[in-house]
Amino acid sequence: MKRRDRILADLDQDIREHIEVETRDNIARGMSPEAARTAAFRKFGNVTRAKEETREVWSFVWLEQFLQDVRYGLRMIWKSPGFTTVAVLTLALGIGANTAIFSVVYAVLLRPLPYRDASRLVLLNETTPNVGTVSVSYPNFIDWRSQSHAFSQMAAVHQVGFNLTGVARPESISGSAVSPAFLSILGVRPFLGRDFDAAEENAGTAPVLLLSYDLWQSHLGADPDVVGKSMSLDGRAFTIVGVLPASFRWLDKMDVIEPIGVWATNNPEAADRGGRGDTSAVGRLAPGVTFEQARAEMESIAARLAREYPGPDDKFNVELMPMRDAFVGDSRPAILILFGAVLFVLLIACANVANLFLARGATRTKEIALRLAFGASRGRVIRQMLAESFILAFLGGALGLALAIGGIHAIARWIPKDMLSGATVNLNGAVFAFVAALIVLAAFIFGLAPAAHSTTPDLQSGLKESGRTTSASAAQHKLRGAFAVAEISLALVLLIGAGLMTKSLYRLMSVNPGFRPDRVLTMEMDLLERQYSTDPVVLNFWQRVLDGVRALPGVESAAVGTVVPLTGNHSRSDVTIEGMTAPRPGDYPHPDVHVVSSGYAATLGIPLVRGRAFTDADDEKAPHVGMVNALMARRFFPGDDPVGKRFMIGHPGKTEDWITIVGVTGDTNLYGLANPARLEIYLPFRQAAETNMNLIVKSGVGVAALSAAIREVIAGIDKDQPISVTSTMNQLVSDSIATRRITLVLLGLFSGLALILAAIGIYGVISYSVAQRTHEIGIRSALGAQRGDLMQMILKQGIKSAAAGIGIGLAAALGLTRLMKSLLFGVGAMDPVTFISVAMLLLLVALAASYIPARRAMRVDPLVALKYE
Amino acid sequence: MSTKEQKQKVELLQGTLDLLILRTLLLGPTHGHAIAKAIEFTSDSVLQVEQGSLYPALHRLIKRQWISVEDGTSENNRRAKFYRLTAKGRRQLTVETSKWNKMAGAIAQILRPAEQEGES
Repeated sequence: MKRRDRILADLDQDIREHIEVETRDNIARGMSPEAARTAAFRKFGNVTRAKEETREVWSFVWLEQFLQDVRYGLRMIWKSPGFTTVAVLTLALGIGANTAIFSVVYAVLLRPLPYRDASRLVLLNETTPNVGTVSVSYPNFIDWRSQSHAFSQMAAVHQVGFNLTGVARPESISGSAVSPAFLSILGVRPFLGRDFDAAEENAGTAPVLLLSYDLWQSHLGADPDVVGKSMSLDGRAFTIVGVLPASFRWLDKMDVIEPIGVWATNNPEAADRGGRGDTSAVGRLAPGVTFEQARAEMESIAARLAREYPGPDDKFNVELMPMRDAFVGDSRPAILILFGAVLFVLLIACANVANLFLARGATRTKEIALRLAFGASRGRVIRQMLAESFILAFLGGALGLALAIGGIHAIARWIPKDMLSGATVNLNGAVFAFVAALIVLAAFIFGLAPAAHSTTPDLQSGLKESGRTTSASAAQHKLRGAFAVAEISLALVLLIGAGLMTKSLYRLMSVNPGFRPDRVLTMEMDLLERQYSTDPVVLNFWQRVLDGVRALPGVESAAVGTVVPLTGNHSRSDVTIEGMTAPRPGDYPHPDVHVVSSGYAATLGIPLVRGRAFTDADDEKAPHVGMVNALMARRFFPGDDPVGKRFMIGHPGKTEDWITIVGVTGDTNLYGLANPARLEIYLPFRQAAETNMNLIVKSGVGVAALSAAIREVIAGIDKDQPISVTSTMNQLVSDSIATRRITLVLLGLFSGLALILAAIGIYGVISYSVAQRTHEIGIRSALGAQRGDLMQMILKQGIKSAAAGIGIGLAAALGLTRLMKSLLFGVGAMDPVTFISVAMLLLLVALAASYIPARRAMRVDPLVALKYE
Repeated sequence: MSTKEQKQKVELLQGTLDLLILRTLLLGPTHGHAIAKAIEFTSDSVLQVEQGSLYPALHRLIKRQWISVEDGTSENNRRAKFYRLTAKGRRQLTVETSKWNKMAGAIAQILRPAEQEGES
């Protein structure tokens, strides 16, 4: 037995003895035994409290009381299973949804990037007023690196596509050519083998490779002796020098990386200052240099280069972006909006549970008053009630977490790739800590107000009351009303958000994109430059593909082209229009240049506005022809027919290769449904051979069935030719709006949940009030009040709550919807139609929720009601 | 009546009561009721101790090892707890007493001029 137990064991006896002695003394003084005993007790004071306080001397009071409270709380919760089930389920939905969304927030916005000191890393690109953000010219990068002092190190990253050859099934993989310093800037070491060597920056470097961990696992069977082995890419042997760590990731997928020297060997693009294709730069800020200082320095370098090389660099500037922002892209607003929305849902859930608590608190008024009368301190009773809310919050949180664990994979799959920007969503320590914080927060939110309220001193009059209509019920009712108002206003904000998104998505989907995506299949192919080194071979391949595919049954039309609308790969070029006054180098028209076969516009459903489309006769021997889009025609040939006019790719120079315009096409929303049309020109593929093209097929039947047949045709022409991306146009359209759609779906879900919870809240408040006022209603109807009057009286109460909630909600929404502006399309952030219709909807729901209890009030029998007490 | 005020009152009582218990036990070990009575008598009933609050105080002192507890027999031949001052408690009593005297003196000094002004 511990010392404290030994000492405390006889406490009761000791106190009893004390009172006994006092009583005897009193009797000795001449009191009657009864009076003596009463006096002894009075003198001693509160026996229970004395015992408790004595025990407290010896114990970790808070712990014991806590355990006691938990035990008591569990008993209370067990005793009212209905209340518990509703409260726990409500909280589980709120906390589960929050867990899921937070795991996305954490993965995308918070989880540290897998680099050393990632906050010092900056991504650099170039910008031009013609286009916006563009890639970096490699010679410019070399100058940036040598002239800047703001960065301790800088590396270029050039995206390269490879065809993995010498394997059973040819395959396209993605790779990068990087400056040797790339990995050391990021603070990443190869998992196996060596990093690149500084000398491997120079042209003439032997072809070497670092493999991604995944590729090493999937294609090399995680061979531990892989270093030194050879791998065939584009029909060329590369020596594997190492493997990247499993945690490594970059903005774009990287299956392999090679030193930039390998790419620069025999590659004229590497030396072309005006060539900007798929290169960006990453730099590590030098110690003590701020982002803004680095930006200022880089802009002055860019300005200097633009003066020095006006031809390729005129009007080009540099754009710096913190690495995190580069990863997150434009998904930040959508993610934050969803996070805000689920927090709202949780708040509404808490308000609802608080209301349940209050409703139950009303029936417990007597119990609490008794406890207070028996000397329990108010803090103690509040703590006890809080313990109950903690248990509920904990149960809700556990169930919510279970829901999230069950659903996390579905959610991770469901969220579009663009939105995740390469991050992996999972449940981890940070998410668990967040859930724990939510549980505590929720317990306080829904527990504290009711607990504090039920123990207000005036409630002690509850002892005297019948326990049904207490004097405090008015105050309590007010609090419940306030919760209902809060729920309505939160629900209103969510519904308005969902309404705006719905309208945006509807507007977006009714945009005419300038092409018809139905029943169109696209397949991207990148020919091996080794094998297809001359134009005739390249042209022969594409022509055979076209002939083969067009002959397939079910194919309506087929074409090849360098670009598919809504995909990322765009090639643009300055053009010179015959007869124009030569502008400064940065002001040349800079349209997207598409190289396409005959049938391209027809296959994609792009309308022909004037002139003719390309035919098979527009071949390498025919005069050079081109087409322009309507925007190009309007901009450069206003009020004139562009057909017959001539233009030239690039600036006027040594050779003048004029191209005659033979037709005008409609504009297409190449860069996404929400983005405006851009300048476009088309060239026939036989006059501008390209190795990287897309096969575009329109079929009369389902496109899925066709895919296999097309693959067979291609394998028949070149069995080593992989197809890198296969997609349907409808899929591309759907992907392009995926972030908006998922935002809408989730917002819709959350606001629907909010609406239901708010309706339950109003219903609860009104029906409670009707129950409370049964007596009053009975008197009113006995005195001749009409049923209609009674109905009106109750409904008015519901409408009052709803109106207050709607007012607050509208004000909050006016402030909050601005935050979702970047997700909206064709609708203002304060769209009055949405605001008004959502407010009306909530008013209707509030009316409906009040109607049920109002009807109950009408049916009150005055006789019964008057006898009620 | 707020919780906070209540707490302050208890604390104010605590220290004083502890001192009084120690002083009482200086005369020899005795049981709870006798301690209460002794405080009441020796202070001419000025200090009305709510007897219940004696027990938490006693146990606080036991915990600090200023007093010890042993079984004994009360005046009416019942088994009772006897509380005895320990050597540590004796030392503490000296410390506490001088502290108390110092404080009482200081307070008296502060109050004296006011008293005189009131008289004049």
